[in-house]
Amino acid sequence: MVDVSKRPRPELEPEYCKGCNRCVEACAHGCIVPGQEINSLTGLVPVSLHLDDCNGCALCIDACPEPYGLRVEDDAPARLRPQPIDVPSVRLPLPEGKPLILKGAHASAIGALLAGCRHFFGYPITPSTEGAELMARLLPQLDGHFVQAVSEVATVNMMYGCGGAGLPCMTFTSSPGFSLMLEGVSYMIGAEVPGVIVNVMRGGPGLGNIGPEQSDIKLMCRGLGHGATHAIVLAPATPQEMLDFTQLAFALAFEYRNPVMIAADGYLGQMTGKVTLPPSMVRPGLPAWAVYGDAAHRGNLINSIHLAEADLEAHNRHLQAKYLRMIKAEQRADLYRCDDADVLLVACNTPARMAKGAVRALREGGIAAGLFRPQTLWPFPVKALKPLLEQVRQIVVVEASDGQLEDELRLALSHAGVGEGIEIRHVRRMGGVLPSQREIVDGVRAAVKRRATA
Amino acid sequence: MSTFYERFERHDHAVGLKARTTHYCPGCGHGLVHKLIGDALEELGLQDRAVAVSPVGCSVFLHYYLDVGNTQAAHGRAPVVGIGHKLANPDAIVISYQGDGDLASIGLAEIIHAAQLGLPFTVIFVNNAIYGMTGGQLAPTSLLGQRTATSPNGRNRHMGSPLRMAEMMAQIDGTAYVERVALFDAKQRVRAGKAIRKALKVQADRIGFAFVEVLAECPTHLGLTPIETEKWVAEKMVPVFPLGVKKEPTAEPYPAWPTPSHDPGELLRLIGATAAPVPRFCAGFPSTGFGDDIAIKLAGAGGDGAQTAALLLTKAAINEGFDATHIPSYGPESRGGTSYADVRIAETEVLSPAAPHPHALVAFNAPSLARFGPEVLAGGVVIYDSTVVSTAPTLPAGVRAIPVPCTAIAHELGQKMVKNVVALGALMGATRLFPPETLVAAVHQSLGSKPQLLGLNEEALARGRRAAECDGAG
Repeated sequence: MVDVSKRPRPELEPEYCKGCNRCVEACAHGCIVPGQEINSLTGLVPVSLHLDDCNGCALCIDACPEPYGLRVEDDAPARLRPQPIDVPSVRLPLPEGKPLILKGAHASAIGALLAGCRHFFGYPITPSTEGAELMARLLPQLDGHFVQAVSEVATVNMMYGCGGAGLPCMTFTSSPGFSLMLEGVSYMIGAEVPGVIVNVMRGGPGLGNIGPEQSDIKLMCRGLGHGATHAIVLAPATPQEMLDFTQLAFALAFEYRNPVMIAADGYLGQMTGKVTLPPSMVRPGLPAWAVYGDAAHRGNLINSIHLAEADLEAHNRHLQAKYLRMIKAEQRADLYRCDDADVLLVACNTPARMAKGAVRALREGGIAAGLFRPQTLWPFPVKALKPLLEQVRQIVVVEASDGQLEDELRLALSHAGVGEGIEIRHVRRMGGVLPSQREIVDGVRAAVKRRATA
Repeated sequence: MSTFYERFERHDHAVGLKARTTHYCPGCGHGLVHKLIGDALEELGLQDRAVAVSPVGCSVFLHYYLDVGNTQAAHGRAPVVGIGHKLANPDAIVISYQGDGDLASIGLAEIIHAAQLGLPFTVIFVNNAIYGMTGGQLAPTSLLGQRTATSPNGRNRHMGSPLRMAEMMAQIDGTAYVERVALFDAKQRVRAGKAIRKALKVQADRIGFAFVEVLAECPTHLGLTPIETEKWVAEKMVPVFPLGVKKEPTAEPYPAWPTPSHDPGELLRLIGATAAPVPRFCAGFPSTGFGDDIAIKLAGAGGDGAQTAALLLTKAAINEGFDATHIPSYGPESRGGTSYADVRIAETEVLSPAAPHPHALVAFNAPSLARFGPEVLAGGVVIYDSTVVSTAPTLPAGVRAIPVPCTAIAHELGQKMVKNVVALGALMGATRLFPPETLVAAVHQSLGSKPQLLGLNEEALARGRRAAECDGAG
């Protein structure tokens, strides 16, 4: 038999009571009555306790919605937790092997596996699906996890959970799917969650078509969901770079605690080419900040809500400082025959390869052309561009979009306060078509001719 | 109360009373549900392993209070965020906490599919029949006739009927345990506590997906006192949302998940990486007359094998130490209809991977020949399947047309599938691109588990080569 006289009686700090009176109803002995006096600290009317008939049944405590409202004296201290520590990732050397022959999307998937990614979330969409299909085949054999989500919205939020738990994860998608992910990308950036999104861009707007395009550059560089967001945008041009940049993307995502975008075009996803494996792969660690679900990480929080304006502004300043670090440290570009170029072609992804062919053809025809290929679209590699501007007289931007790469170029030049007086022209295709080498050669020749006659 | 933070530091920096009081209105059901979760975690010894995913809505600030790993999710997405957590660490005890707008409106797709996946984690669904945080608008669970800010004259048929989530969850195969409970009196609160404890235990024992719907009070937006709201829930909500167990767990537990492998040898084996040297048969880059960056297009109907032949060619070139690319036509175009492939082979680096103006075209049917024939560069060559295309094509000046009865030869070889290999042999014969051994090696590499087909393919290559060489000589 329980000795009811020994059961502890409830206690109440009046200022923690909101006066809802749910405990009044719960007490069968009428020990609690609605209060009459307004508490000066809260402006609310706390209940009043008369515990002479209390038998310690605790039903009033169960009725109280406040954790520190009605309660019995609790001497148990809060459970201590160990301090979380960073478990660093480990590089494991790979033997040298012969080149693989891989589709771009497969190369990217293998780059992710080499980066230690064992969690894939995705939704099928052409022309990106081959990457997901390879992951679906390989991950179970590595005891990893492949989840085909209900949508791209679910996909990006699974990444938010998995990345928030501190593990590398990724998805493949294509333009319409990428649009759907942007809400989640904003949350990932706001909550500082790493993850890698490969966007194999296709023709738009709307459902558009499945041909290659580059019309999500604006979205990736300037429109990652709501709020002041940025992420590093890597732009591969070959299956080899699909692998290399994907592996790199994971390192950057964890270094900066920010998602990383890989901007590919439809051809890059589908194209098969020669790929050499890197000298090492990565076994991921576990960052101290992760919400992993163990004692060490119990105190952590993945969160993007900061209700007080001062807090949110401070958080934004912190993010801005991080973006600035990316701008300083992460600009990447590849230069081809730029040293003595007076016409500079600017192009990324597959169109950069057509442009490279065009540079060769133009050179053979006596035009001193060069190719400046941004490998990061954000941050735009203006540092590498600057020294070229002294000799360059014209820039021709080659792209499969309405001028989104050109906009990035112009913004970068403008922010850097350089390039004034340099004529910028373009060769553009849209609708799932890439500019051909011949179109580029013709476009550049026409631009040079115009300048000569002007 | 050790499952609650000693001080609510995240609650406006724990200024004054905020260190120990919640942001909830007087009489709100959320605080009770928080306490029930805290008690259950305490009793089951799961606090250290717990990850609570909070929603958007009044309970967005769950992380102010509950001393567990916390993640705040976008509106409606808590269950899929929970899936991310659970797969990252299967030992974590993941609790997705959602209100009625979050779960039953904007997040309906997520909760249904999370339930269908059936991974062992716990969803706590707080149904108070109204939107709280946005200020008292219609919820998917609002009752017929209920007045809200967006149904000022009461919910009517135009606004649909209340969604019964627990019943819906119970009929999804993926769920293991589903119960609806309430908080309106002491008995209900005891039952609610038991249900939440069970839902966590079902997860901890790896039985499966557990869903507890809690009918809760929102006095503020119902415009009632907390006690009146308790009665409202009992009298108005319960008839629409009957309490009780909707599904009892019967499934066998999931086996423990293995830890993902990061073994380099295992990964290399899976992706087919090998250090074995590839034999080379070319002395140098082939002298085809097409320069050091060769463009080839293969085109036909889906099923003609243009892509397979293109890949073989790409492999052959890379094996010989050159650079090569292959771009297929893809998507709807590749399912029936036309299928064409662009192959580029360069001595050092392929520049433009597309082949809009090829040096060589392999056409498996008349439409492909008509479409791409005119684009072939002067000095180039067109190989077409003369079994299918009966009339000789008109081609640009300086382009050589070579009819090869690919289909007929393949039939003679007893396997019509190899007509693309015949065509590839013909391409080699016409262009002198690679010696026979190079293609045979690439075929061998590609056959994988069917090496018995090597002889057939070798014969197809040889027959094609001979057919083109004869034509060339003639």
